Amino acid sequence: MQAGTLANYLRRGAIWGFIVLELIFFSIAGEYLAITDKAFMDAGNMLLLLKQTAPLGIIAMGMTIVMVNGNIDLSVGATFALAAVILLDSLSWPFMEELGDWAIPLAWTFALAAGGVLGAINGLIVWKTGVDAFIVTLGAMLGYRGLVFMYNGEQPTSHLNWTLVDFAEAQFLGIHTATWFLLGVTAVIWWVMNRTVHGRNAYAIGDNREAAVNAGIRVGPHMMINFVIIGFLAALSAVVFYSESGSVNPNDGELYELWVITAVVLGGTKLTGGSGSIVATFGGVLAIQLLRKGLAHIGADTSTVNLVIGLILIAVLFLDKQLNIRAKEELKT
Amino acid sequence: MRLTTKAGMAVSTVLAGAALAGAAAADTWKIGITQNNVGVDSYQTTYEKAFIAAAEANDNVETVVLDAGGDVARQIAQIEDLIQQEVDAMIIWPTNGEAVIPAVRKAFKAEIPVIITNSNIDEAGFDFISSFSGPDNITQGKRAAEIMCDRFKDLGIADEAQIVEITGQPGYTTAIERSTGFQDRLPEVCPDVDLMESQPGDWNREKAQKVMEAFLVKYDDIDGVYAGDDNMGVGALNAAKAANRAEDITFVGATNFAVGYEAMARGEYWGSIYQSPVDDAEAALQTAIDVLEGEDVPFLNYFDTPKITQENMDEYDKPVF
Repeated sequence: MQAGTLANYLRRGAIWGFIVLELIFFSIAGEYLAITDKAFMDAGNMLLLLKQTAPLGIIAMGMTIVMVNGNIDLSVGATFALAAVILLDSLSWPFMEELGDWAIPLAWTFALAAGGVLGAINGLIVWKTGVDAFIVTLGAMLGYRGLVFMYNGEQPTSHLNWTLVDFAEAQFLGIHTATWFLLGVTAVIWWVMNRTVHGRNAYAIGDNREAAVNAGIRVGPHMMINFVIIGFLAALSAVVFYSESGSVNPNDGELYELWVITAVVLGGTKLTGGSGSIVATFGGVLAIQLLRKGLAHIGADTSTVNLVIGLILIAVLFLDKQLNIRAKEELKT
Repeated sequence: MRLTTKAGMAVSTVLAGAALAGAAAADTWKIGITQNNVGVDSYQTTYEKAFIAAAEANDNVETVVLDAGGDVARQIAQIEDLIQQEVDAMIIWPTNGEAVIPAVRKAFKAEIPVIITNSNIDEAGFDFISSFSGPDNITQGKRAAEIMCDRFKDLGIADEAQIVEITGQPGYTTAIERSTGFQDRLPEVCPDVDLMESQPGDWNREKAQKVMEAFLVKYDDIDGVYAGDDNMGVGALNAAKAANRAEDITFVGATNFAVGYEAMARGEYWGSIYQSPVDDAEAALQTAIDVLEGEDVPFLNYFDTPKITQENMDEYDKPVF
């Protein structure tokens, strides 16, 4: 019994232990290898870390729900780019320019609505056709990306608005705007997953879809709502990020789906569904951004960073599997 | 100038050695660079190698070499990190000429001089940067006109030659500047050469080939072709070869590519403009150092891109891209 609890603790706490390890490693290695005299764990640097986690982190919260459901969404990167194009392009529309700065909330609304609609399309197809979400969203990934390229060809879509930039760069109580959004989204999704019927149903469906159907859960509409949520969050991530940068390349957001899934899996969510935690996902994205930032801090190049993240992902999955096997054997005895 | 107390601990053995040999702690500039996408083509890969080599050869600089991997978000994070690390100057090869402007403004506010390398940022960001280091495309266009004209003079057809032009992608500053330089300079050196038509080839070899096929049908006498880069120039050459008219035509390009260099070696392609990633990288580092040392650096700080023709190509290595 005790070993089982220990394994449970290990599994739950693994991601946070890993983050602590990273912090210790980069702090010490930074002393010798970094060019700067500033410590890695400088408060300013840690606040930046949270801010830089936001673009992937906001999407990862949605991905957690979808994966707990036993589904997956590969189209988030394309949705992210399309929402960004709509956000920035709409600011240049003639009637929007007449509105002055009031165009900003309207442009946000357009982008967020577009994200929700794109998610709804995915959800509707999954619901009505019964085709696996992996295939549906793989198609959507290509299709939505095609729309991005149709919009403006190979050219970037740009609209630099300093009011918007100043808002996005602001630090309320020392915390960046993007971080507030990340924390807000994390809190709301945590509440949905842990305190509402919808959240409990998400776990039930992922655990055993047939049993969930028999229990009277309307699986189709439930999944569709989750796809709307992740589409909306992908757009929100774009809104938060592009309010600050003001220009989107047509290939922006490529591979984001894989980074997000990596973060969610690092956080312990099962690819098969039925299990996963919002707080652990938060740890997962933090761990990835910490690795990227830390390795850059000590002067490793980008390819090394990708290699290390890949290795760690495999190690985590292996460890997770070992702990699970042990936990199951505990039950048998 | 900031004193680096940790110079002795620096990983770079070169720097560590220099600091020890110098007895007193050496003054070093900390310079960070964030590049566009190193693995994507050999120009950028060669650029990175040359930059690291140049930095290691210089005892007065310590560098952080970063690569955005083509990802704007990652590049912006890298710029923020470099500000956080309090580098003395930073060099940026923008992934997107507009998206980095707010991040560049942050560096400007933190009083860190920013040097843009290779391709410039949008004008809205000019107030926040110290200098742009890169190729001068107007001069490249002018030099191409001179190469073309000199060749016509040698052939004795400078008073009646007729030429066509294939430009880069419409809207691209590089394409516009090269074409402007060429069209301005040509009448000055060879007033009797007639530029009959100019059409975009979009930096694409196949597109350029189609454009040239149309030119060959339309005009019975073509003596020269100016292409906005060698990739398009070779496309035009292929079209002319297919029509058995390549022998009579002088091909001049820009940004000497390996395919252009090889065509020159075969005697099919006349000349181009040599743009070396090594020069590009060294110029960027030197510009950053000059800015830090308070020297008068021009806002647009161009590195030299010389003429290359069949006559002098032995002096240049074959381009790696």
